Amino acid sequence: MKKTFMLLAIVTVLGMVAACAPQTVTVEVPVEKTVEVEVPVEQTVEVEVEVPVEVEVEKEIVIYNSYQSDPEPRAADEELVQRFEEKYPNIDVVHSTVAHEDFKQAIRAYLTASTPPDVMTWFAGNRARFFIDKGLIMDISDVWESEGWNESYPTGFRALSTVDGKQYFLPTSWYWWAVYYRKDIFEEYGLEPPETWEEFLQVCETLKDNGVTPITIGTKYRWTAAAWFDYLNMRVNGPDFHIDLMLGKEKYDDPRVLKVFTDYWAPLVENGYFIDDPAAYSWQEALQFLIDGDAAMYLMGDFLRDSYPDEEEAKLDFFRFPIIDSGVPIGEDAPTDGFFVAANAQHTEAAKMYLAFLGSVEAQQYYADTLGRLPTNMEVDTSGFTPVQLKGLELIQGADFVAQFYDRDTTPEMADEGMNGFMEFWDNPGSIEGILARLETVRQEIFESE
Amino acid sequence: MTARKFFSSPWRVLGYAVLVVITLLWLVPFITAVLTSLRTNDDIMLRGFLALPKTITINSFVEAWKRGGLSKYLPNSFIITIPSLILTLFLSSLSAYALARFRFTGNRLIFFLYVGGTMLPFQVLMLPVFRLTDALGLYDTYWGLIGIHTAFQLGFCTFLLRNYMRTVPGEILESARIDGCGEFRIWWQIMMPLTLPAIAALATLEFTWIFNDYLWAIVLLRSDALKPVTAGLATLQGQYVMDWTVIVAGALLATVPTVLVFIFLQRYFIEGLTLGATKG
Amino acid sequence: MVRRQTLSKLTPYLFLIVPLVIYLVWVIGPMFYTFYLSLTDWDGLIDPHFIGLRNYQRLFKDPVFYTSLENNLKWIASFITVPVVVGLALAMALNHSIPGDKFFKASFYSPLVLSLVVSGLIWSWMYHPANGLINSVLRQVGLDALAKGWLSSENLVMWAIIAVAIWRQAGYVMVLYLAGLQGVDPGLVDASKVDGCNGWQTFRHVIFPLLAPITVIVVVISIIDSLRAFDLVSVMTRGGPYNSSSVLANFMYIEAFNNYKMGYGAAISVILFLISAVFIFIYLYRVLQTEMEY
Repeated sequence: MKKTFMLLAIVTVLGMVAACAPQTVTVEVPVEKTVEVEVPVEQTVEVEVEVPVEVEVEKEIVIYNSYQSDPEPRAADEELVQRFEEKYPNIDVVHSTVAHEDFKQAIRAYLTASTPPDVMTWFAGNRARFFIDKGLIMDISDVWESEGWNESYPTGFRALSTVDGKQYFLPTSWYWWAVYYRKDIFEEYGLEPPETWEEFLQVCETLKDNGVTPITIGTKYRWTAAAWFDYLNMRVNGPDFHIDLMLGKEKYDDPRVLKVFTDYWAPLVENGYFIDDPAAYSWQEALQFLIDGDAAMYLMGDFLRDSYPDEEEAKLDFFRFPIIDSGVPIGEDAPTDGFFVAANAQHTEAAKMYLAFLGSVEAQQYYADTLGRLPTNMEVDTSGFTPVQLKGLELIQGADFVAQFYDRDTTPEMADEGMNGFMEFWDNPGSIEGILARLETVRQEIFESE
Repeated sequence: MTARKFFSSPWRVLGYAVLVVITLLWLVPFITAVLTSLRTNDDIMLRGFLALPKTITINSFVEAWKRGGLSKYLPNSFIITIPSLILTLFLSSLSAYALARFRFTGNRLIFFLYVGGTMLPFQVLMLPVFRLTDALGLYDTYWGLIGIHTAFQLGFCTFLLRNYMRTVPGEILESARIDGCGEFRIWWQIMMPLTLPAIAALATLEFTWIFNDYLWAIVLLRSDALKPVTAGLATLQGQYVMDWTVIVAGALLATVPTVLVFIFLQRYFIEGLTLGATKG
Repeated sequence: MVRRQTLSKLTPYLFLIVPLVIYLVWVIGPMFYTFYLSLTDWDGLIDPHFIGLRNYQRLFKDPVFYTSLENNLKWIASFITVPVVVGLALAMALNHSIPGDKFFKASFYSPLVLSLVVSGLIWSWMYHPANGLINSVLRQVGLDALAKGWLSSENLVMWAIIAVAIWRQAGYVMVLYLAGLQGVDPGLVDASKVDGCNGWQTFRHVIFPLLAPITVIVVVISIIDSLRAFDLVSVMTRGGPYNSSSVLANFMYIEAFNNYKMGYGAAISVILFLISAVFIFIYLYRVLQTEMEY
């Protein structure tokens, strides 16, 4: 007994010593570098370690927190950090990766802490706007100016990053959404990728007649259903109307919205063109049906290829969501990620330099080449792109408008209610009028109580 | 008891069989987890979650160790958990003793305070505690986490130990007092050993809870260098890609310390060791 | 003499002062701050504005609140019965040195070492309507009709999640009762046997009453945990389908962290706190009245 307590006591003391040991040292020393500062880590508690991390003498640091926890983006991130440090040997990047979902919680702490991360990853659109409007994000118009991004970035992306004439956001990567399909199954039944709505319905009918479920979808987490709303609404009513709806300027019980459900979406559900019980599956689980050949199409973002078994990928291709009304401008969903700087960042200079690097052709080229995602900087050389990337690029460049996806274009609360509404509709298409009435009430509460 | 003696009656045999069946059913999810961690991700995508593995690989464990940065984060988990555990057990047994064996004004009130503090879901305390931690200058430090873990667990531990301490016969304490023992000595040398089963059980549970926490780590830490294992493992969950085999393998690896603690401590809340003490 | 008397009067306070101060600063303080926040429109980021009882008014009109409340009550009802009985039975059975007792104990404790996230995950797979273990087995033995969408059916989903919670809770209760049984004087048990009581009578009249302090803890904790339940719902269904599996803690989390309505979330927590407080304080008060005075 005594021994155990002794052991525990020793461990506690060690623990406390470790806990009291100057954090600044451990934080500051990345694996490869040698620290010039003369502070041995094994110092006992009493020594007041005077190691200001923002050392004027030798090293500058910039604290960078990212949510890119998927394995490949994460590795790419780490590579870019290394390259930056090679370029600027007197700046250390303190890089921390946090799980994607958790980051959304942590950012609340980050933006209001007295020692925040300097540079952070985040989403463009309403999500960034939310923080910008509260003055928590640093104005980086000077970086946009000095790096010449006002010229080298497409207007659409620049507009995305601007609030009241100033730039706050650096958009760096995006991916497209499209209808992915099994080439081999289409071939088997003599089908061509449809371009119009009528053709699309034909394809669905043929597939169904041959025992293949036309479309798979996993709506367990609801956002996959929102994709259908985005596209149908943009195809039927045009992207301008869609964005105004997202911003709360149009009503949910508008007959134009109703039309989307009754004339286009409901028939798909009622004709059995979707798999059974989609709410039981996450998007990944529903992918199984496409892989197995039980279903032939999936409206999804390009990241679906990451989850697709390598040996099957050759059977996959994609086409633009069918045009319903050729007189309506074409809108596409292309969620964009990027970076921003905390308003009360402690290392402003270094942060801006890092940001400049992230938006540069070099960094973007690396990102595009390694991950197959599309860059925002137009000066990136696209000659090395795969056919898939070029096709995706073409898809978006052929669009008149780029949206960010339902839950990033509108406020989180509205998105939540809206997505619940879509799920309810899916279960019971006949109840859509009641659902839209309810959504309209919510919209008024949220947007008109400002 | 020898096995033969134990299985003396048919009822016993039946009862034992039932126990075995229930235990095995109870373990099914766990076994599923282990099987999943031994498969490859493509295997799961191609053949579904519950098929038997075609190929067995420990690759997921290696991946989880590397990508989850376990060698970096495990020490952090211990640095956070062990001091919190010891502090909370120490402090709550002090409080419990006072509440259990003394009459004084405020006894009931303080007792209710301890119980009351356990009633809030900690998510709601998250932001107020974050603000407090930042104000104290403890943001992004080990002590920030140790502070909240110690404090937060005090409620439950005090509550439990107080109740347990009330079961100790008063005569033992009285005779010690008459002998002139100071209260602190009585607490340390008499009450604590008698409370050992409860403390051991508590230590097991608390270790599990504190070790498995990660939401506090997410909110109160900013740097990579201080992260506990749970936060490190959480990064295996991507935005779109869920590498199930690696995630589950990582989760299993993270259970090893808690299982070891259970095995080590369980004999303290099992018959035998304390029989002498209670009889005395 | 006077000094010793004052010292002995002060003793309990001396024991309490350090833990109490820490507790007040880190837990009670934030708790009251949360109560205050429930009267504001704080979004979690910048300074809050006082808005009085508006959050509560909104809450009482919110249908999701009532669904969540109902679900929490289902949870409580399940938690104070099933895991308690199972845990106690296990502790009684395993308190003797039967062959393999360590294996049994470890097995029932094992659900607790798996994080809630992973547990939720694995059970989600087991509940999978098409390939899940449960439905596959049911289909194998020809009970196809029973193979439902466990997590997608509004009627079944809450019970399906509670089942997972019980699977975890039983081991926890078992550990508490095992510890409690160590405090039961074997002399008393022997005495009752000598008096001619059979196993069940001994249990009912001797052992169970002696376990009363532990039972109090178990009941209180079961109620608190039922009301605080969050992770399983969050991982398995996010409160769906259509909020049918929403519980108060999950509801609060979504409002506070997803919708940036910390004030509203705080109001939900306050209600949650009041509900627990009512149950527990009444129960504890009665128990304390009947406790022996020392």
